[in-house]
Amino acid sequence: MFVSDEDLMMKCRKGDRGAFELLVRRYQNPLINYIHRFIDDYHRAEDLCQETFLRVFKSASRYKPTASFKSWLYTIATNLCRNEVRNRSRRNTCFLEELVKEGEDVYHTEIMRDTRYLPDVLLEKKEQRQIIRKALAQLPDNQRIALTLVTYQDLRYEEVAEILGCSVGAVKALIHRARQKMKKLLIKAGIGE
Amino acid sequence: MKKYKQTEFPDAHNSECEIENRDELSAYIDKELPAWKRHLIRRHLKKCRVCANDIQQLQHTDNFLRHAGDVEASDGFLDSVMTRVSEVAQHQRQQESLWTRICWGIEVSLGWMPQLSTLSGKLRYNIRTRSPVYISILTFAVFTMVGVTLYQPSGDKFGQELHEPDSEKLISFEVIQQDPPKRLLTTYLQRK
Repeated sequence: MFVSDEDLMMKCRKGDRGAFELLVRRYQNPLINYIHRFIDDYHRAEDLCQETFLRVFKSASRYKPTASFKSWLYTIATNLCRNEVRNRSRRNTCFLEELVKEGEDVYHTEIMRDTRYLPDVLLEKKEQRQIIRKALAQLPDNQRIALTLVTYQDLRYEEVAEILGCSVGAVKALIHRARQKMKKLLIKAGIGE
Repeated sequence: MKKYKQTEFPDAHNSECEIENRDELSAYIDKELPAWKRHLIRRHLKKCRVCANDIQQLQHTDNFLRHAGDVEASDGFLDSVMTRVSEVAQHQRQQESLWTRICWGIEVSLGWMPQLSTLSGKLRYNIRTRSPVYISILTFAVFTMVGVTLYQPSGDKFGQELHEPDSEKLISFEVIQQDPPKRLLTTYLQRK
């Protein structure tokens, strides 16, 4: 039987640790992907994902099922990512993935040991990922957040508007501009014919 | 690797195109438009080649982005989250027990006043959920209120007025009793 996120959160509020574990299982991969696309560092993305879940747990007693759990979760993650990017620019830090040589990917060198992944598929994915990662990094923050949430997390425009604190019309414009820019960047990266 | 298809049409807007707001095209491929608007756009796409190509390009971009490889959480991720959650829960319990004891003290000391008992109940809830700054401000406010309510100075001005008679007023009363006004006395004598 499927239990909604909001119901799980209400159980978690009453101290049900199992309900919280189910929520973590449900959102760990989408959330890591979202954060990873934002900050472009896998290990740091895991840390921030963990921090997001901890914040959710700490605020469970204050949770009211008025807004969707998904929007709330992604709002927390977005704020953490924004802080991370801000701190990184202040410290002028270079992360591990930025230091690796062209054509090398920390994450994929790790999963290369896994036999589930065939070398050619892996290579193709690796190449795609690098191009997309670079293109996404060139988008302005709000465009990147909106595009990532709609494309990868399957969030509705209303939910994205809630997370970004803007109108649905503004989200429409952000998404459209982000896609146009991505299209140009992908062509520039040599993927266009 | 899949090739992103660049169409022969540039971004230039067709002068005959009915769609003024180009953002609607992205909303169209995301199925974020109401049915009537979707129907209008679908009908328009059959006539307008520029919009049809724009939609195609946007769709290609979206597909390309969607099929890019995802990352996965490492094997020990769930365990490490749950371990940290247990630590946080334990810390919260310890904090709660300390505050519960403090609040129990407040409740016992103020228990004879029902309003303050309710207030201390609210205080305890806030202590559990809010920040330490809020807690200290609230505690200060409660103690100030209790202090103001219970404080009765001995030399109160109102008390003095109630218990000690005003001697000047009493004297003037006596004078009126003893010596009535002369005008009244003369009218009394004239009547006689």
